Amino acid sequence: MLDLLRRAQSLAALSGILVLAILISPVASDGSRIFLQPGNLTDILRQISLIGIIALAMTFVILTGGIDLSVGSLLAISTTLTAMALTRAWPHASYTSHILRAILASHILRAILAAVAVSTLAGAVNGAVISALRIQPFIVTLASMIGVRGLAKWLSSNENIDIGFGRDVAAEFAAVFRQKAIVIGSYACAAALFWILLARTVFGRHVRAIGDNEKAAEYAGLPIRGTKIWVYSLSGLLSGFAGVLYAAENHQGNPNAGVAYELDAIAAVVIGGTPLTGGKGSISGTIVGTLIMGVLTNMLRLKNVDSNVEMMIKAVIIVLAVAVQGRDSDK
Amino acid sequence: MTRGILMAAGMVAALLATSCASAGKKQLAVAFSQANNAEPYRAAQNALMAKLFSQDADVKLAISDAQQDNSKQVAQVETFIRQKPDLLIVAPNERAALTAVMGQAMEAHIPVICLERDILQPNYTSYVHSDNVAIGRQAGKFIVDHLTKKYGKPRGQIVAMRGLLGVEGEINRDRGAKEILDQYPEIKIIADPVADWIQAKAKDRMTEVLRSQPKIDVVYGHNDPMAIGAYLAAKELNREKEMIFVGVDGLGGPAGGIKKVMDGILAATFVYPLCVDKAVEIGNRILHEPGFKPDKDYTIDSIMVTPENAAKMYEKFTVGN
Repeated sequence: MLDLLRRAQSLAALSGILVLAILISPVASDGSRIFLQPGNLTDILRQISLIGIIALAMTFVILTGGIDLSVGSLLAISTTLTAMALTRAWPHASYTSHILRAILASHILRAILAAVAVSTLAGAVNGAVISALRIQPFIVTLASMIGVRGLAKWLSSNENIDIGFGRDVAAEFAAVFRQKAIVIGSYACAAALFWILLARTVFGRHVRAIGDNEKAAEYAGLPIRGTKIWVYSLSGLLSGFAGVLYAAENHQGNPNAGVAYELDAIAAVVIGGTPLTGGKGSISGTIVGTLIMGVLTNMLRLKNVDSNVEMMIKAVIIVLAVAVQGRDSDK
Repeated sequence: MTRGILMAAGMVAALLATSCASAGKKQLAVAFSQANNAEPYRAAQNALMAKLFSQDADVKLAISDAQQDNSKQVAQVETFIRQKPDLLIVAPNERAALTAVMGQAMEAHIPVICLERDILQPNYTSYVHSDNVAIGRQAGKFIVDHLTKKYGKPRGQIVAMRGLLGVEGEINRDRGAKEILDQYPEIKIIADPVADWIQAKAKDRMTEVLRSQPKIDVVYGHNDPMAIGAYLAAKELNREKEMIFVGVDGLGGPAGGIKKVMDGILAATFVYPLCVDKAVEIGNRILHEPGFKPDKDYTIDSIMVTPENAAKMYEKFTVGN
């Protein structure tokens, strides 16, 4: 019941911001509100997709009472590896006009798998160190945030790896994976999968139980270590996948990509009603939290609000959103 | 539930207040997507652009700051495209990332001026820029002249402070200088650390270089803040008299490189033109002259600033309030 109420809270906040965005939206020359134009609404969805995808797994991490600061660096290593694989490993791979054949048969799939595998592995290492050595997640993921960023820069010799607009596999990859439908579709699929995983599986129940009371979960014989390793691996997996999309969107593998993304993802989770102490929270809440930040950004940009003021307004929203939820759940 | 609604209602009130102010008669909208307000060069661009456009009562300028984040800048340009401004000016953070979205602006029939950094495809109405290779060559010649004067022949040890790797300005300021310096086998670049254009980073990197290099003749900073950071590091170790510091950017104002030449900290700086005056000039003609066909490419020349002309240049390049 409390959970339902909390969800209603953030939904109410989102509705409020949506109404506000519609009310103050500038009007186009044809009289329509720019905010409501389908192009603008899908812009928002595309723009939130990367953080949204990362925030899904971050929800799991935070539900266990942990935190993952390394997601931005994991995104960077994946985006760098994707571009390196596409431009250096197979620079002369042939171009095919049929995209589906190209993806399945060729290098694109292998490049994506390699990049995502590395970031997933890095996530698994995070989880293993956290559960085996019993070091706080904040410290372990802080270390990998620094170390993996260094690895990404070292691998690429500090350079942005340009994908370019030629007629080769790399350009073909970017052309496909930067499409709005693919990006938003990926977010939607990942959201659905992670919602099922949390709400409908034994694994999801374990995740919540650990965050609710780790000692009790341990006495009940739940697989704490295994669950934690899985949770951080999933975080690596989704950050890596977001990195693949980032490479396509920006036409490059940039080892400096994703700086401070962990904070955006954590903000989305927290606004969505998952407390940092873990135990309670939901994927739908995180999606609402991500949407709130996305709509807010778009609304303020459409009004040309000064970007420094934008940051101040966001700060207030984050605190307000959490204050509202915290107080109700005390009752 | 009620609190959620209250919170939203409060925000409605606050933002309605700001939105009412902007309702008025039809104005020409100019949107400027800036890569990163935090760099002094870019802050100067913003200030000059705001000043020049404010002379036109019917032009309303909006500036967005991408905080050196490609995705953020793409999103901001997309949002500008929805607003259908009469003119879009983009100072791209990085070439590859902005190419496609600027193409979308062109497809939406918005005139686009690409400012200072180029993109991979000519997705713009006009590209206003300076020539960094030429600036690098000028700096290289200045360094060779200085060393020749110092030793009677061109020889010496140089430290180059490099900006963000992969960026056009960094590549070409490096290339132009090397074109000249490489002609003299006794002139050696003994270290070239990367300080990402940032003064604080340059100070740290220079400190390491100073620890390992007993003899340095010239520091060539690919921008003024890095040259100044290197100077501060040398001063801390009492070695600033041993070498000269050369920078690029030559901004006006009390914090700019020209002032540092006047103060004797930099031996020379090379003005990297803000390109804004030209962009605003072309922009105004696009806005006000229906038949105007701008060129695809405008190159703005650099000026060398040394103690001899620094005071005059300071006056010229300082944007007054």
